Amino acid sequence: MTTAVATLTGDQVQTRVGLDGDVALAASGDASAFERLYRTHVARIHSLTRRMLGSEWADEVTQDIFVRTWQKLGTFRGDSAFTTWLHRLALNVVIERRRAFAVQRERMSTDPSALDQVTVPPVRADLRVDFEQAIAQLPPGAREIFVLHDVEGYKHREIADLLEITSGTSKRQLHRARMLIRHQLGEA
Amino acid sequence: MHDQWTDQLSDYLDDELPEHERQAVERHLAECAECRQTLHDLQRVVAAAGAVPARAPATDLWIGIADRLDTRVVPFDRGRRRFAFTLPELAAAAVLLATLSGATVALLMMTARNQSGPGGASDPSVAPANAGAVDSTPASDIDVPLDSGIVSAVSYGEVQYEAAVTDLERALEAGRGRLDDTTVSVVEQNLSIIDRAIAEARRALQADPSNGYLSGHLVEARRRKLELLRRTATLVAEAN
Repeated sequence: MTTAVATLTGDQVQTRVGLDGDVALAASGDASAFERLYRTHVARIHSLTRRMLGSEWADEVTQDIFVRTWQKLGTFRGDSAFTTWLHRLALNVVIERRRAFAVQRERMSTDPSALDQVTVPPVRADLRVDFEQAIAQLPPGAREIFVLHDVEGYKHREIADLLEITSGTSKRQLHRARMLIRHQLGEA
Repeated sequence: MHDQWTDQLSDYLDDELPEHERQAVERHLAECAECRQTLHDLQRVVAAAGAVPARAPATDLWIGIADRLDTRVVPFDRGRRRFAFTLPELAAAAVLLATLSGATVALLMMTARNQSGPGGASDPSVAPANAGAVDSTPASDIDVPLDSGIVSAVSYGEVQYEAAVTDLERALEAGRGRLDDTTVSVVEQNLSIIDRAIAEARRALQADPSNGYLSGHLVEARRRKLELLRRTATLVAEAN
C-alpha cells in the first residue's frame, strides 16, 4: 500500500509519497509508527545480531540499530524494500560493533586445527537439535560467515567486502562452519 | 574420509567450483559412499540454516530504544504559523487519546487480572526481565527554550521530561492571561485527562511490568502531554 503523509509547515504541504504506511509515518517523525515497525522487524534484527555477535551483545546492539534506523529514516527513499534497507543498516551496525570489539583478527583465524577434531560420529542422528545453539557454538569467524551465507543469503564476494577478507577465506570458513555444525548435529 | 575431496564439497554444493574440478568431484562421489554421506549431511545443514526461524528477544527492548529517540518537531517561530492544528483540534485529539488510553488500559488490566492466578502473580517466565520498568519508564522531553526559534529536539528521559513539563507548565502559568478563559479551560481539562491516562498506565504496568504494549503506551501518553503543553505554550508565545 502506498501512502502519502502530509506535514504542514506554514503554507507548505510536504508529502512523503511512495513509502508504505508506517514507514512513511515514522519517516515523518511518528514515534508510534516507528514502534510498530520495531515490533514487526525486531525478531529478525535481533536474530541477526545474536547470531553474529553472540547473545550477550544482542539486546544492546539491536537497540543501537533501531535508534540508528530512526535517525536515518529521513534518508530512506523507498528505492528498495524497507526490509532490505533496514537489514543492510543493521548489518552495518553489527560490523561496526564487531570492529569496535577489535576481534576480527582473532576471530578470523584460519587455523585448520579445529577441523582436525571433526570426525563423523559413529551413530547417525537426526538434525533435530537446537540449530541456534549449534550456530552459537561455532568459532566466531566461522559463525559470522555461516550466518551471512547460509542464513542470510549473502554471496562470498559480498561477505568478503563486508568483513574485509578474501573470498577464499570466506569459502574456507563456511566449509569449516558447516562441518562443525554437522558434527554437532550428528552428536545430538 | 578423503580430506582433499571433503574440503571441496561445500564449494561443490554452492556451485563455486570450476567445471573441471566439479567433474572431478562428481567422479569421486560416484565411487565414495562416505563423501556422498558427507555431502548429504552438508545439504541438510544448508537447508536447516535457510529455514531457521527468527526469534524475538526475551525482553522487550522498546523502552530502551524510545529512551534514545529524538523526534523531529516543527520549529517555534513567532513570525510564521508552524502547525496547522487549531487548539480545539488539539484538545479533541487529546480527548481521543485519553479515551482510547483509558479504555485500553482498563481492558489490559482486566485481561491481566483474568490471566493471573488467585494470588494475582504474573507470568514468572517473563516478569523478572522488566521488573522495575515502571520507575525507569522513559518519557518525552523537550530540551530547548520555548523562544529559541530553532527546531526543538524531543528525547525521552525521566529527569529531562519532568524538568521540561515543569518548565512548560510554568511558562503556561505565566502566559495564561494571554489566552482566553475557554482555551485555558479546555487545555487544563485535557491535561487532566492525559494525566489520568498516564496514571492508569503506570498502575497497569505495576501489575504487568513486562507488558511492552503498556510501556509503549505510557511513553506515548507522556509524549502527548508534552506535545500539548508545547503547542499551547507556542500559542501563548504567538499571542504576544
